[in-house]
Amino acid sequence: MNYEFDWFYVKKGFPQLIEGLWLTLELTLWANVIGLVLGFLVAIGMLSKIKAIVWPLTAYIEFFRCTPALIQLVWFFFCIPILFNVWWSAEFMGILALGLNLAAFNAEAYRAAIQAIPHAHTDASTALGLNVFQRIIHVILPQALILSLPVLITNGIGIFQQSALVALISVEDLMYQGRYISTQTFRPIETLTTVALIYFAVSFPVSQAVTLIERRTKRLLAN
Amino acid sequence: MAFVEIDGLVKRYGSLSIFEGFDLHMENADRLVLIGPSGCGKSTLLRCMMGLEDIAGGTIRLGGDDYIQGATDGRMTLDRRVQKEVGMVFQHYTLFPHLSVLGNLCLAPVRSRGVKKSEARDKAMGLLERFGLAERANFYPSQLSGGQKQRVAIARALMLDPKLMLFDEVTSALDPELVVEVENTMMELAEGGMPMMIVTHDMHFARSIATKVVFQERGKVIEAAAPDDLFGNPQQERTRDFLRNVLHIEG
Repeated sequence: MNYEFDWFYVKKGFPQLIEGLWLTLELTLWANVIGLVLGFLVAIGMLSKIKAIVWPLTAYIEFFRCTPALIQLVWFFFCIPILFNVWWSAEFMGILALGLNLAAFNAEAYRAAIQAIPHAHTDASTALGLNVFQRIIHVILPQALILSLPVLITNGIGIFQQSALVALISVEDLMYQGRYISTQTFRPIETLTTVALIYFAVSFPVSQAVTLIERRTKRLLAN
Repeated sequence: MAFVEIDGLVKRYGSLSIFEGFDLHMENADRLVLIGPSGCGKSTLLRCMMGLEDIAGGTIRLGGDDYIQGATDGRMTLDRRVQKEVGMVFQHYTLFPHLSVLGNLCLAPVRSRGVKKSEARDKAMGLLERFGLAERANFYPSQLSGGQKQRVAIARALMLDPKLMLFDEVTSALDPELVVEVENTMMELAEGGMPMMIVTHDMHFARSIATKVVFQERGKVIEAAAPDDLFGNPQQERTRDFLRNVLHIEG
């Protein structure tokens, strides 16, 4: 290999990459907000005995888990405007698709966690006079959150990485900026490596933290 | 009019029948201990009283008011006051692991009764002090021994000033050396005049805490009497058989 590294353009374009990173983080944040809230509601719905609730939710979860995130994103971007005659920004579509995708995965994590909570807690909280909403909010939700936290974080950081797909619908995220600089400057090695390292720098500490958190939650919830 | 009146209770799990017209009355000053072979419906009875089980028939009254009325179509009438006026302690997993001891005690008063946080806290600390658990207030359940957990669970039920306390085999899951501290706590409550219904397999404890012992078998009351009479001079053959068996096993 007879390649001479030249980091000039990466240095010059670095602020642009950071700007892209901020947008990526913003997408990740909102997708996680949707994923955490909607995921829990879907999980609660999945545990219902009413089939008219369970079936559509199952269809939703399986659809998002069994198709590539890329097609989901592109489908939202191109098909929603035609089907529903709405014109939302590419960022918004990106957040929506990523958020719904994440919610489907989180719903399964929550559901497993809720089912792991001893049924006796429901009895104990009923005996304390808590109604069904108070039980869900104060007894089930916090425990489900703690139990599923490692999976929720893993899923959440997964969405941070998956969000690179939005570059394909011209959202100017980290990936988009990286690709832009690399094609403009003919420096793919320097630029794309830097982009990869930025993704890595954000993801790695989080994935390390998950191991730690897992150990702690196990200790807290040990009965 | 008795303090607790259970009349004609019917409880079934599918085709399995637990009670077919069960009657039991209890006076305000009583500490009623339910004994009997496993599966005879002692725990189920307490769960029915707490409104945790659907009952197919019968009435449960407390202080003269109808609280629960069974219905065959699974739509029993439940006055939710029962869960505010009766406290219950269970055998297992009674504390919420994500809350500290103090958090466990304050949850129901603050979230469901609208008691002020500071008030609930003061009351909780008072109860914990009384039970010798004050220094554990900020511990999490996973940091407590089984006996401490059960005592905290008792304190948690007392936070709501219950008129009646139900104890469902609260010492059965404990290591033997931890049983005494929980039983002592219950004795202390008894001395304070708290009406109780207790399910236990510990006959010595039953004898010492009860004002009335009920021997129950296959969903029926076989014999009910003061502890000295029931343990000292049981009238029914089946009661004698049961006591001979359990006391022999206990040595």
